[in-house]
Amino acid sequence: MSKQINVALIGNPNTGKTSVFNSLTGLNQKVGNYPGITVEKKQGVCKLPRGVKAHIIDLPGTYSLNASSLDESVVIELLLNKNDKDFPDVAVVVSDVENLKRNLLLFTQIKDLEIPTILVINMADRMRYKGISLDIDHLEERLNTRVALISTRKNEGIDHLKNLITNYKDISVTPCLDTSEIDKEYFDNLRKAFPNQLVYKLWLVITQDVNFGKIDRNEIDAIANFKTKSKADLKRLQQKETIKRYQFINSVLKNGQTIDASQAKDLRTKLDRVLTHKVWGYFIFFIILLTIFQAIYDWSSVPMDFIDSIFASLSEWVKDTLPSGVFTNLLAEGIIPGLGGIVIFIPQIAFLFLFISVLEESGYMSRVVFLMDRIMRRFGLSGKSVVPLISGTACAIPAIMATRNIESWKERLITILVTPFTTCSARLPVYLIIISLVIPEGRFFGLGYQALTLMLLYLIGFGAAIISAYILNKILKIKSKTFFVIEMPNYKLPLFKNVVLTVVEKTKSFVFGAGKIILAISILLWVLASYGPGPEFNDAEAIVKKEYASQNLSEDELQRKISSQKLEYSFIGITGRAIEPAIRPLGYDWKIGIAIVSSFAAREVFVGTLATIYSVGSDEEETIKNRMAGEVNPILGGPLFTFASGVSLLLFYAFAMQCMSTLAIVKRETNSWKWPTLQLIIMSSFAYVVALLAFQLLK
Amino acid sequence: MVTMNTLIQNILVVIALVFAIIFIVRKFIWKPTKSKKACGGDDGCGCH
Repeated sequence: MSKQINVALIGNPNTGKTSVFNSLTGLNQKVGNYPGITVEKKQGVCKLPRGVKAHIIDLPGTYSLNASSLDESVVIELLLNKNDKDFPDVAVVVSDVENLKRNLLLFTQIKDLEIPTILVINMADRMRYKGISLDIDHLEERLNTRVALISTRKNEGIDHLKNLITNYKDISVTPCLDTSEIDKEYFDNLRKAFPNQLVYKLWLVITQDVNFGKIDRNEIDAIANFKTKSKADLKRLQQKETIKRYQFINSVLKNGQTIDASQAKDLRTKLDRVLTHKVWGYFIFFIILLTIFQAIYDWSSVPMDFIDSIFASLSEWVKDTLPSGVFTNLLAEGIIPGLGGIVIFIPQIAFLFLFISVLEESGYMSRVVFLMDRIMRRFGLSGKSVVPLISGTACAIPAIMATRNIESWKERLITILVTPFTTCSARLPVYLIIISLVIPEGRFFGLGYQALTLMLLYLIGFGAAIISAYILNKILKIKSKTFFVIEMPNYKLPLFKNVVLTVVEKTKSFVFGAGKIILAISILLWVLASYGPGPEFNDAEAIVKKEYASQNLSEDELQRKISSQKLEYSFIGITGRAIEPAIRPLGYDWKIGIAIVSSFAAREVFVGTLATIYSVGSDEEETIKNRMAGEVNPILGGPLFTFASGVSLLLFYAFAMQCMSTLAIVKRETNSWKWPTLQLIIMSSFAYVVALLAFQLLK
Repeated sequence: MVTMNTLIQNILVVIALVFAIIFIVRKFIWKPTKSKKACGGDDGCGCH
């Protein structure tokens, strides 16, 4: 029987920990959350030599075991709780060859918890560029562990690492530092009070208020024969511990590492000078954005048209092949068009995530964060707010969770409240379909109008977020201060494997997550659109035939009139017409109204809803875009999707809070219904007013 | 007279509708409480 061991991957941010995780697990990984909190939990399985299986958990990046954020406390809680099902048999600390000294602080802390700990030194391929040489034997001897020198980029050293993990029982658990050196008397007392516990674990509990089995800091305080120290004294002792650790690390690296600066062939400084320049930095960022949006359009059009025609043909095939009846109609008119409405956007979403992933992997995204900090400060946001705002281009939910590392409550609250303005991937299908209907295909200096419109919408979202932040900063009377620290990783060629995994994972979660909701809503909408009360629906055929008896309508025209009459008096038609007075001033008909209401569940449902509504009763093989383009405005005549109504709809979606999941997460993060309620009312009202003004001015 | 085909098709629509309603209710209105010891699943945020 094969044996399974728990392996914890731990490391500072930007050490390539995720690359190591990907190299070990490949596609055998899944992403979830830690119970009760919203910190991402990545797990995977790796097959090791001798039939051993490793359950690998990629823990959040942390600089030390002195937690200052929720992400870091997750690492400590796991390492202190032997009863946790994920408690590691072996810890793998991933470090970066260029920042070994700083990375070793975390390594020594973990080693002192008496867990077998392997040191991985990643990015070995950069050693010759930086003039670095290492004496691995010396490092292994002094750190009393096994060291794996690897390069995930070149896929070197991974097998050696797997062997070390397999033989983890051979690794010494002797601590690097004698903890009692920090304060002999204090630690002696601690040892006497808790003879069965590891002193360093107790020390972490005392200094960080993290749970440790059944002992927490209050219980430690409550034991009469042990008096802990004041917070100031504990802080002083923590500093002393850090100094002692660095003294040890310096002594290890003195003979274990040589850096010859004259051998370094460093491009980084030259690149940083240009990419973070106060003028050129923004200019280059702007050019990169333009290129991305143009490429999204240019590269996606062929696969999108292909997918669209496939779904149209599939509907037709289902109708022709299956026995006629209501379930066949549900498949052909409800489920297939509804799903087609989301699948069609896979190429564009994949390209967007491809570019974002390349920018992140190359190290450029950190420069953008640094660059934008200069702007953010003027609007009352932290430089750290840039991360949620950029993450918001994927989804507002993880972006709002990412605000947890902003120390100032005021800045965090403002970031939470404004992040939903950034253009998330769920808005993308809505934008793309409307843009393709109302914006001409011409080009301006080689850039398509459609791509420029899409980029403008992203800028509008970002602009709305920072202007709202400025207003909130003036209105909210909360006093707090913060500072901005960001690590600039080295520039590197993006790893193909990492980019592909990111694109696949993000696209998959978008399609499957949204797909399930759209499938359910498509079924519901089809039923509501296919059944109705009263004689207007049930006797639709007789009514239409009587009404048009004098006109010589063809069979096709007659069928279309009957379908139209049925849809209008179906359950969905009745509901849509009830809300129509409120949306008519914006240039929308009741069908768009229904799509807006249903897309409150998730914005991308909008396109699927329209696809379903327009398909009901239709016998023709038509693409979603063609069906929407052929819709006629019931009041004004002419196309329903004009430039005015299209722009109005785009602006409505740019500003409206159309996402129940985001509201739920805002409630959870602020621990109050006050903020999501205000967010919903203000954003939706603002969206309505802007959409109204846009339509009335442009019509 | 209701044919077998019509009957089966109607039953399938009803089943699909019931599943869709249950899914929507569980997703947006009422979520069954999870055990605290569970890992959180692979879709913790409820987003897409």
